[in-house]
Amino acid sequence: MARMGMVFDLKACIGCNACVIGCKQENSLPDGVFFTKTLSEEYGVYPMANRVYIPTICNHCDDAPCEKVCPTGATYTREDGIVMVDDAKCIGCSTCAVACPYDQRTQMEEESFLKGLFGTGEITPFEEQGYGRYTPGTVTKCDFCSQRVDAGLDPACVVTCPTDARIFGDLDDPDSAPSKMIRERQGRPPMPDKNTKPKVYYVN
Amino acid sequence: MTIEDKVFSGDTLRVGYRFQRHWDNSMAYAFFCAELGAGLFFVSLLMDNVAGMILGLVPVATGKPYFHLSHMGVPARSWRAALRPDRSWISRGLLGLSALIGCGAALVFCLLFGSSFGIEADSALVNLLKVLAGIFALVTMTYQGFAMSHSSAIAIWNSAILPLASFLYSLTTGVAVLLLLPGAGGTTDLASALLLLLLALGVMHLMLLHAGWHGSPGARTSVELLLQTLYAKWFWGLTVAAGILLPGLLLWWAPDLLLTQLVACLGILAGFMAWRILIFKIGVYEPIMSMNPFNPLH
Repeated sequence: MARMGMVFDLKACIGCNACVIGCKQENSLPDGVFFTKTLSEEYGVYPMANRVYIPTICNHCDDAPCEKVCPTGATYTREDGIVMVDDAKCIGCSTCAVACPYDQRTQMEEESFLKGLFGTGEITPFEEQGYGRYTPGTVTKCDFCSQRVDAGLDPACVVTCPTDARIFGDLDDPDSAPSKMIRERQGRPPMPDKNTKPKVYYVN
Repeated sequence: MTIEDKVFSGDTLRVGYRFQRHWDNSMAYAFFCAELGAGLFFVSLLMDNVAGMILGLVPVATGKPYFHLSHMGVPARSWRAALRPDRSWISRGLLGLSALIGCGAALVFCLLFGSSFGIEADSALVNLLKVLAGIFALVTMTYQGFAMSHSSAIAIWNSAILPLASFLYSLTTGVAVLLLLPGAGGTTDLASALLLLLLALGVMHLMLLHAGWHGSPGARTSVELLLQTLYAKWFWGLTVAAGILLPGLLLWWAPDLLLTQLVACLGILAGFMAWRILIFKIGVYEPIMSMNPFNPLH
């Protein structure tokens, strides 16, 4: 069985946030909700100052703490390793949110659906068709665009990236692009000290 | 690196510490009600004080569910939280809390009106209810500490001291309130026990601060937030001074005086409430700074 994962190439990421927009569009995310973020960090002193961009996303951990603490079983792992949230079972207790070391969980506040993307209270037809998939109050997160993966496509953030800084594929397949990249460029998972066994890796 | 040098990213897109804001004040109030009520019930059970048992069940059966449900995103589905006791402390706690309310109410009913139905106070049924209610009270007193310590994300919570803190505060507030109730009996003994519990609370706080300071960067940051920022005045003023030192001095000076007992109880409750809110406020997620391979500082 496949074990889907992602690799971020920090040297390739230019911080354009196209992935963030692609994700929001694919998943019809309301104002203030992000399944992926591109963080930045400055370092050094002028004239040697620089900035690095660090994309973040749900790491779909093999030993997912969010799944372990969920009191309803709403969070579960698919056979292909994608950690999912069953919207119909989630009670919005946020226990998963305080258990995730990467702070990748977001509660879908009812107000964010009501105010609309432009903050005027007017809901566009695009928003109307998209918001129906969420229950206000539940806690959600990235699911690697599971609907696209099921159709044999890459997640929206991956196909939107103009520099191929995000590589998606089967980590159990030694010939897959992410497996090769992890092997050849010493990929590292985020915060390995948390022992969550992430399926997202970073290379430089 | 001091607290002033650390980056708190908040809602920005910078790498830095992020405050835990998923569990807010309503959760703190819910935790307070559960631990206060269960502690009072447990101590009252040991002291055979029916009034204390009734009073203990009130916050457990009203405040705890109210504040918990007001925090929950989809309260109508809250029953689902009981479905996974095999892996979640929230499930175990909900079941324990519900069982405490059920067994506690049945016990109080038997003790008050049992003789009308032929149930004596020393009957097997009453004794069984006492054992069960005691066990479920212990679960309610500690499970929230276990739920917090289970989170590896918030380093200051990820400690075996948190369940101990829940148990100690629950027991301390229970004894403090029982001391004021009529018919508590042996108030000097209770006051002495309270003094010992306050000492234990002081040691527990020292242990937590020590473990956090010498722990991971996230735990140390939380301790720095507690001791060096605007939270410090609440911690030192309410949790330590009003919640531990003042009650300790008053009870040591005049353990039998109702006024000192009243002031001590109010101080302990205020300190406990402040502690419950502060422990949520100082929770931080650690930055994923180790991922920046270009920064020579990392």
